[in-house]
Amino acid sequence: MSKTVLVIKWAVFILIFITSSALCQYDMVEIDNSVFGDPARPPSVFEHDAHNENAGLDECNICHHVYEDGKKLEYESSEDMYCSDCHSVKSENGSPSLRKAFHMNCKGCHLEQKAGPVLCGECHRK
Amino acid sequence: MHTIYQFVSGPLAWIAFILFAGGCIYRVAALLHTVYQKERFIFSYMSWRHSLNSIFHWIIPFASVNSRKHPVMTVVTFVFHISLILVPIFLLSHIVLWDEAWNITWPALPDGLADVMTVLVILSCVFFLARRIVLPEVKYVTSASDYVILAIVAAPFITGFYAYHQWPGYSFVMILHILAGEIMLIAIPFSRLRHMLFSVFTRAYMGSEFGGVRHARDW
Repeated sequence: MSKTVLVIKWAVFILIFITSSALCQYDMVEIDNSVFGDPARPPSVFEHDAHNENAGLDECNICHHVYEDGKKLEYESSEDMYCSDCHSVKSENGSPSLRKAFHMNCKGCHLEQKAGPVLCGECHRK
Repeated sequence: MHTIYQFVSGPLAWIAFILFAGGCIYRVAALLHTVYQKERFIFSYMSWRHSLNSIFHWIIPFASVNSRKHPVMTVVTFVFHISLILVPIFLLSHIVLWDEAWNITWPALPDGLADVMTVLVILSCVFFLARRIVLPEVKYVTSASDYVILAIVAAPFITGFYAYHQWPGYSFVMILHILAGEIMLIAIPFSRLRHMLFSVFTRAYMGSEFGGVRHARDW
């Protein structure tokens, strides 16, 4: 194998590694709150991968759910969408507002599991 | 932590709101019942015009002689009462809890403004405390319960201010804050904080008696 081919192979490998790690929220440390325009609180602390490892979550749709007619679809998941695709800043069509959706998804589960932050300042850290 | 939070924000909150609402209804009903039983003649000279006139003159700063005689007290007491009522009702983090529990929501005060108003409530409490200690005419009519009531009112605001700024011991102070708020709610109908309910009746009665019987102003 010539040296050039080897370099190209490595370059492609590194490129794939970088893009894939970017796509899988490898470095996500907080919730993107830019959709709120003028957010009232600091963005919620959230380390995606560390959280899921810590909580022992294997199924994406535990958080990335899909609801139809008020019922959660057991085998559907929505990790290819933004939360704000369904949950707008103001509540619409019976779907909770974005703020409420975040709070219910995070705090609701934390209260059920009796683990994880539930007070305002435990996520919205100054 | 989760168990304590769920207890103070669940069953204890229910107890506090039920005692607050039930206590308020009971207090007003008992007041009217007592007057009806013992001094029924008062109803003969109660008048809407004199009542509203009195309430109006005492609810506007400097519209009564007494409020003009004590300008500092007037400014402090109006700033205090307005902030005391508006901040808990229109605080964003409180509205979020109403939204989660009851699916109801309303516009919030900006957090920065609510923070300033909270400081004003705390400073007002310091002013009221100093006034009780320093002014002889106030000191004379002060008993231990006055200090307890002042502490009950100041506590939710001191703990709320501390928690909002997320200083050390945040979670512990948050629990204290919820408890302090519940104690204050319960104390409203069952302590002299009941003037929140009775002040309109006091003014209506005084206004009517002064206006209708003595033909004088009560402001």
